[in-house]
Parts: sequence; structure tokens; C-alpha cells
Amino acid sequence: MEETNIEELLQAYATGDVSEDEAERVERALSESPRLREELARYERLFVLLMATAQEEVRAPRDLRARVVWRIALTAYLNSAAELAGGLLGAYGQALIYYLRLA
Amino acid sequence: MARSRNGDRRAFSELVLRHQTPVFRVCYRILGNREDARDAAQEAFIRAYRKLDGFEGRSSFKTWMLRLTVNVSLNEQSRRKENLPLEDWAPERLPGPEAELMTAESVARLHKALQALQPNHRAAVVLHDLEGLTFREVGESLDVAEQTAKSWAYRGRHRLKDLLT
Repeated sequence: MEETNIEELLQAYATGDVSEDEAERVERALSESPRLREELARYERLFVLLMATAQEEVRAPRDLRARVVWRIALTAYLNSAAELAGGLLGAYGQALIYYLRLA
Repeated sequence: MARSRNGDRRAFSELVLRHQTPVFRVCYRILGNREDARDAAQEAFIRAYRKLDGFEGRSSFKTWMLRLTVNVSLNEQSRRKENLPLEDWAPERLPGPEAELMTAESVARLHKALQALQPNHRAAVVLHDLEGLTFREVGESLDVAEQTAKSWAYRGRHRLKDLLT
């Protein structure tokens, strides 16, 4: 197998996501290439870091839901107001809604 | 879900509560800072509320919501033109194999390196490697074939490896 194709398999090999046949091909190539062994070691370090990052706790801001609900309510209110006022005020209302990126 | 589609804002508020953490996390990992992530997450939920009628249930609500989230985040970043030019950024290498403990600094370096990836590659890495979606789900979330999602993740990881190790 071409070395470039083996390189594509290295990532999957590092995560254990290869078939038995593919694993054998990768291991054969690894035994013959110090460069590929170094590449594998680098991928393994990367995947450890990716796993550590995946476990990092990232919490949503406490006010996120309130902000979403407020914007939806405001949009509904402005839409109703614009419909009721009609005419010139409606045009201003629509412009305001557009300007505030509410619709 | 059905109540939300009928305009029940309280029901939609419950949906926000249920999904706000993964949505915010994806925004944060794509955009790289909490302030922009908060704005993008908010915008993603607003769009979801407006588009609920168009949700046909062909994918799960989670992948549908993540699709909106990724689109909003990438558009926001494109709008702000905050991609770091690679030539201006000298990444710090990860500690060698002798340093087994991954520090907070290492995680921060990964976040920084993610910003240097092409947007589609970054999204695929974030969704698969950090959020734990299958490649099929990543494909659904990014609106591409599963094989394309795999290819994007491969290229993203390859770049990360070059930048960080």
C-alpha cells in the first residue's frame, strides 16, 4: 500500500477504528518506517489532548435561556404592534425590527 | 416539540434549557471565546424558533439544532473576519510523550489551534472528536455525506497534529 494511504489509516489506527486487515497493514508499514512510527506517536498525543478537551466542562451562561425567551417575546410584541399600527408606524416598526435583527 | 411548533413559548423555553449546553459548547469551540459564543447560541435558538415549522423530523432535533448552530457560528466568524492568519500565529507544541498530564494550557492551545483550521474541518473535528457525534450525525449536522464528514475530520486532525505535536 502507498505510504500516503497508510497515513490516512494511521488516524483510525490510533483510535482503534480499523479492521483486523487494516491493522495488519498499518503494523507492517510501521515496522518498516521510523517516520510513520513518529507520526503515529504524534497522532496519539493529539487524541489524548482531544479527549481531555472533550471532557472539559463548558457551561452555558446562566442568562442564555432568559435572553432567548426575551428576544422571542419582544419580536412577537413588535410584530403585533407593527400590524396594529400599520401605515407609517408599521414601516418604522418593520425597520426597527430589521435594525435590531429581531426578525 | 409539538407545543413549541405551535408557538408555545414556554415549551420552547424548555427545549432551550435541554439543549443550551451542547449548543453553547459547539459555539464556544468554533468561535473560541465565550462572549461570541453566547451571541451565536442565542441567534441559533432564535432561528430554530422561527424555523420549527420546517423541521421535518428526518434527523433528530439535536442534529437539526446543531446544523443551525454550526451555520450561525461559522457565519458569525466569517462576518467578523477573525480568522487568525497562520503566518501570524506561532503555535506552541504540546509537551512530549513524557508529560502525560494534559494541563489547562494544553487544552487552551488546542482551542487556539482549532481556530486555524478551515471552517468545515473545524466543525467536523468539534462535532466528532469533542461532541462525540458519529460521522453519520456529523454529516447530517453539516448537510454533507458521511464520507465527506470523515474526510473533513481527517484533514482537520492532520492539521492539528502538524500545529500541535
